[in-house]
Amino acid sequence: MAGARLPLDGVKVADFSWFGAGPICGLHLATYGATVVRVESETRVDALRMVAPFAKDKTGYNVSGYFNNFNAGKLGLTLNLNTEKGHELALKLVAWADVFLTNITPRVIERWGLTYDELTAVNPEIIAAYVPMQGFEGPHRDFLGFGQVLTPVTGYNHLSGFPNRAPIGLGTNYPDYVINPGHTLVAILAALRHRHRTGKGQHIECAQIESSVAPLGTAIFDYTANGRVESRSGNGLPYAAPHNAFKCRPLHEGSAAPADEQWIAIACFSDEEWQSLVAAMGSPDWASDPQFATAAGRKENEPELEQRIGEWTSDKEPQSLMAELQGRGVPAGAVQSAREMLADEHLKSRGYYAYLDHAETGRSAYDGPPFKLSKTPGRLRSPAPLLGEHTGQVCKEILGLSDEEIADLLVEGVLQ
Amino acid sequence: MPEDTPSALGDIRVIDLAGEIGQYCVKLLADLGADVIKIEPPGGDPVRGLPPFHHDEPGETSSLYWLNLNTNRRSVTLDIESPEGRELFEKLVATADVVVETFEPGYLDGLGLGYEGLAAIKPDVILTSITGFGQTGPHSHYRAPDIVGVAMSGVMWLAGELQDPPNVPPWRQGFISTSIMAAAGTLTAVYHRDLHGEGQHLDVSMQEALSIAQENAMQAWDMLQNLRNRNGERGMIPINVPGIGAYQCTDGHVFGYVGTPGGAPWSELLKWLIDEGAAGDLAEEPYFDFCNNLNLRFLTELLRDRARLGEKIQMLAHVEEVLTRFIAARSKWDVYEGGQRRRLLIGIVSTPEDIVNNPQLQFRQWLTEVEQPGLGTLRFPGPPYRLSETPWAVRRPPPAPGQHNEEVLGAL
Repeated sequence: MAGARLPLDGVKVADFSWFGAGPICGLHLATYGATVVRVESETRVDALRMVAPFAKDKTGYNVSGYFNNFNAGKLGLTLNLNTEKGHELALKLVAWADVFLTNITPRVIERWGLTYDELTAVNPEIIAAYVPMQGFEGPHRDFLGFGQVLTPVTGYNHLSGFPNRAPIGLGTNYPDYVINPGHTLVAILAALRHRHRTGKGQHIECAQIESSVAPLGTAIFDYTANGRVESRSGNGLPYAAPHNAFKCRPLHEGSAAPADEQWIAIACFSDEEWQSLVAAMGSPDWASDPQFATAAGRKENEPELEQRIGEWTSDKEPQSLMAELQGRGVPAGAVQSAREMLADEHLKSRGYYAYLDHAETGRSAYDGPPFKLSKTPGRLRSPAPLLGEHTGQVCKEILGLSDEEIADLLVEGVLQ
Repeated sequence: MPEDTPSALGDIRVIDLAGEIGQYCVKLLADLGADVIKIEPPGGDPVRGLPPFHHDEPGETSSLYWLNLNTNRRSVTLDIESPEGRELFEKLVATADVVVETFEPGYLDGLGLGYEGLAAIKPDVILTSITGFGQTGPHSHYRAPDIVGVAMSGVMWLAGELQDPPNVPPWRQGFISTSIMAAAGTLTAVYHRDLHGEGQHLDVSMQEALSIAQENAMQAWDMLQNLRNRNGERGMIPINVPGIGAYQCTDGHVFGYVGTPGGAPWSELLKWLIDEGAAGDLAEEPYFDFCNNLNLRFLTELLRDRARLGEKIQMLAHVEEVLTRFIAARSKWDVYEGGQRRRLLIGIVSTPEDIVNNPQLQFRQWLTEVEQPGLGTLRFPGPPYRLSETPWAVRRPPPAPGQHNEEVLGAL
């Protein structure tokens, strides 16, 4: 669908964010057509530019696949916000923009003179989206963190994993990737619509602590309504059994390497799904034991049930087992690693991953648009910018500076 | 909230056919002011039957899970497969801006009520379809409870200890993430319709919505054929490092990520240990210098210098022991607030009770009181964001099944 209209065509975004939560929101705005200027500085380089993976045998600020994935389709501007002229240019960019976006901490935003009052002084209709960790007000407002620290604070660690383990969390900076950028995106899109109808901009605060706690709302509600303190309880659900991941045969025979592990998730929510699973297993004698005849019985005897199913899956290959079970109406899914994700025929048929040519990394995979619109689909229009790649272009075309002015600013260290 | 407070979506009518996977999407639209008409089958939405329940008493409007997801709706009961129900549904669609559905792909088409059918009734309608694997492709008909989505998206692979099966994230995170992207897609389509008068069909897949949450694992495989595996508390850090991971306190846990970018360096943690008289030999060489340099660059170099790795790992283990003892003697709130005042990346491992008592969330009045008919005043989970002009608000409590049959259907 190259060349098709993009729904946010004409929307202008000044993206002063870094790490994950902010830049991913800007990424999606760019994917659906907004012009997004990502502001960075050589004096305070986005730490993600220095986090692996790096393109093979390459070094420098431009070769992190982690950073690049979150910044496709943006224009890259470097600006030293610690200089007075840098601050002036930042406000010029704000005056141009429809949307201002940042997840930088309140203390630094105040130092840089980018508070809402300062933005509206140059652009009264701006939609200003702040994504601080704890919010601009409150006793913990200067507390620091990113996903790995926010995840425990907001309850994910306490609630995930097995009860006999420490609260280890989800292995990633979990809320940085969908929860916080996604909520921020929803708020910005609502504000854009309000502005289109009324001409009024507004202030958005998506405090990451609030945004990340919201998806665990039921556990909080169970405490406020019932006084119950929920805790981690493994992979089960009270009303489904089986409901877990089961080990399959390793990728290479006899291997015990973690990378060679293969697992399949299987879940039965009804007697019908359970009977279909029993049939798929070849109706073994143990499955006709009356203790497994009802949902309540299966839940009550879940450890034995899981052991039996695990014995059955242990010599199976998960992808074909998934196809077999799904064909019989049993919910099942291979526990895919990144290796299987990139080879996934279903994702390929939908064209999910995009492969983009980047000046320094060469061709590599990027996450594609997160949703498909039939008439105005999104697309990644360019790979992530090199550090400062579009500084000249943005200064000239967006900020209206002359070549001489740009040269002076370069010499003065403002455009770093 | 005063009646005249503007809302961003006050003029948008959403017809809500969403099952579990899409109910958080509709909540996001509803809490921003959309006029949402929830269509329930005559027996009521099955999600009403999911635990936990208010005072553990099952009932039509007592599932806390359902209540949280169903704020700001009006409910009508009708069977879209019956002739009378279908007629009412078509009349509702004629008044709608958005229809949200989560049926198996092709089901609504089979009834003549897919995108083409709905657009014949309301030309600029937006149809939001939310499923496990999307509307097209070989897996589009797969059954996809939350666990199947998180498994197939690469997210589950990264969570857990190696001794355990990969971990399912708590409280249907696959459904939540898919719903967030569905709400964003719906609003993108509404914006386009406002400008150009054109509706369209939105296709959201749980597998695709979650893929980006693999962190850097996808790129590591694509660029280097390095496979990231689940790694317990360490995440992307390859070896055990003091200050990273979960630590036991007197009354629970904290979780640290000290030495990574964005917070104070390890030297600040050492200073804290010294200030409190708990550093022991870490205050002396060779440990003093060793601790002051504990950061990601040091670790990268350490992993390259295989010859000295064994000796260094022993030193790391000793530092870990001292730190573990220091934290174990303190409460989780003391370590969290004390550490954060020193700008150390340490978070409290909050229980739901801790979240309710969190001073920051209390200051911000995050919990939201709602008068729920039959149950009294309940403290509902609060807003994910604050919009100054068009605020998030619970304007109506979740409805009983068919509570608005007369009000809504009578007006058609």
